[in-house]
Amino acid sequence: MMAVRTGLPAAFFLALVLSIIWPSPAISKPIVIDDSGTQALEPSVSMHWKSATPSRGAANNLMIGTTTIRVHLNVMPWLKHSGHIYLSLPAQAPGAISASWVAQGRFMSGQVHSGNRVLIYAGPISTAFLEDVLQFQFSVDGSLMQRHVPVNFHFEFDED
Amino acid sequence: MHDFLPTAPASLTSVTPAARTSRRALGIAGLLAVAAAHPAAAYTVTLTAAAPLTVYLQVGVGSFTNDYINGGQPENNTTINTVSATVAAGAVGNGTAQAMTTNSTATQSYWDGYTYCSVPGQLYIGGFYRTTGAATAAARVTATVPAALTNATGQTIPFSKIQWTSSGNGDTGAEPFPAGTFSNGGVQSVGAMSSNTWNESCWTFTYLNNTVPAAGTYTGVVLYTLSAP
Repeated sequence: MMAVRTGLPAAFFLALVLSIIWPSPAISKPIVIDDSGTQALEPSVSMHWKSATPSRGAANNLMIGTTTIRVHLNVMPWLKHSGHIYLSLPAQAPGAISASWVAQGRFMSGQVHSGNRVLIYAGPISTAFLEDVLQFQFSVDGSLMQRHVPVNFHFEFDED
Repeated sequence: MHDFLPTAPASLTSVTPAARTSRRALGIAGLLAVAAAHPAAAYTVTLTAAAPLTVYLQVGVGSFTNDYINGGQPENNTTINTVSATVAAGAVGNGTAQAMTTNSTATQSYWDGYTYCSVPGQLYIGGFYRTTGAATAAARVTATVPAALTNATGQTIPFSKIQWTSSGNGDTGAEPFPAGTFSNGGVQSVGAMSSNTWNESCWTFTYLNNTVPAAGTYTGVVLYTLSAP
């Protein structure tokens, strides 16, 4: 067994791995970035009425909540390449959600509505990981809120 | 990124079946390690409704930090306002309804500062309740009414001798707190509020004055309660 292991065709594995990391250039669909190192500093986002008082026409039922998230993106596959990184907030239940954030400098601040994505980084990838601490504010209509609402977002990479 | 198949490459054909199995296992392990290092992750945060139920009822004077449209927030106000009428001796019990006046100074809506009621002839009543989720049942406003007004010697005037109309400056449509007449003791509904809406009316009270009670000052306290579902 040991002799067999020693004889593994390493070039094959390397080639296969590379084929996984760098898909065909002809396919330009965005790639979801490994953000498994990302951490929220609070376990959940407490949502409060933006205004404790409703309007006459019930047009202002906005609830808002803030949280701090340490974003940690593994961009090793694109090391020494250039590209664009987007924060994507897919359309999801229970309905329209928006998020805005203030970055600390590594990424761009911005805001996004569900079903869209927004550029947070553009340029060369010179390190294996990109990190920043984002101060998020989530907004959702109170009529859509249940006690707990999970919100998913991810980061996408478009290589130049 | 994930559409690969861990098939055995041609270079493995020269090894024994046992070795092929072993290498294939290693190959799969290696590929899985790569996949684990670059998962197509989606980050999830959980939005949690915190203290979402808010209620506010104002009968007479109330308190807001500012008008709603200027970012005002409701505050507590423990003032108990009065509504009263003084009937001239010659008019007692003559059937001519007597207009009642209030010591409340509340004329403006805390929604936008609009002068909605006129004092001393009208008593402001307004409020709201907020709750999350889809539209829910309306909140109820009730009045807990004693059986009668009483004087210092225990004589009485039934509360049902007092009624009210409802309106508001520049108002249109149905009043959230409509006209009514007090019941003689008990809890009666005096209005309702749909969730997440501002509701307000101005009440004008009258004493029916169709009986002849003993002279004196008759008083009674009505307690208004907002109950959210």
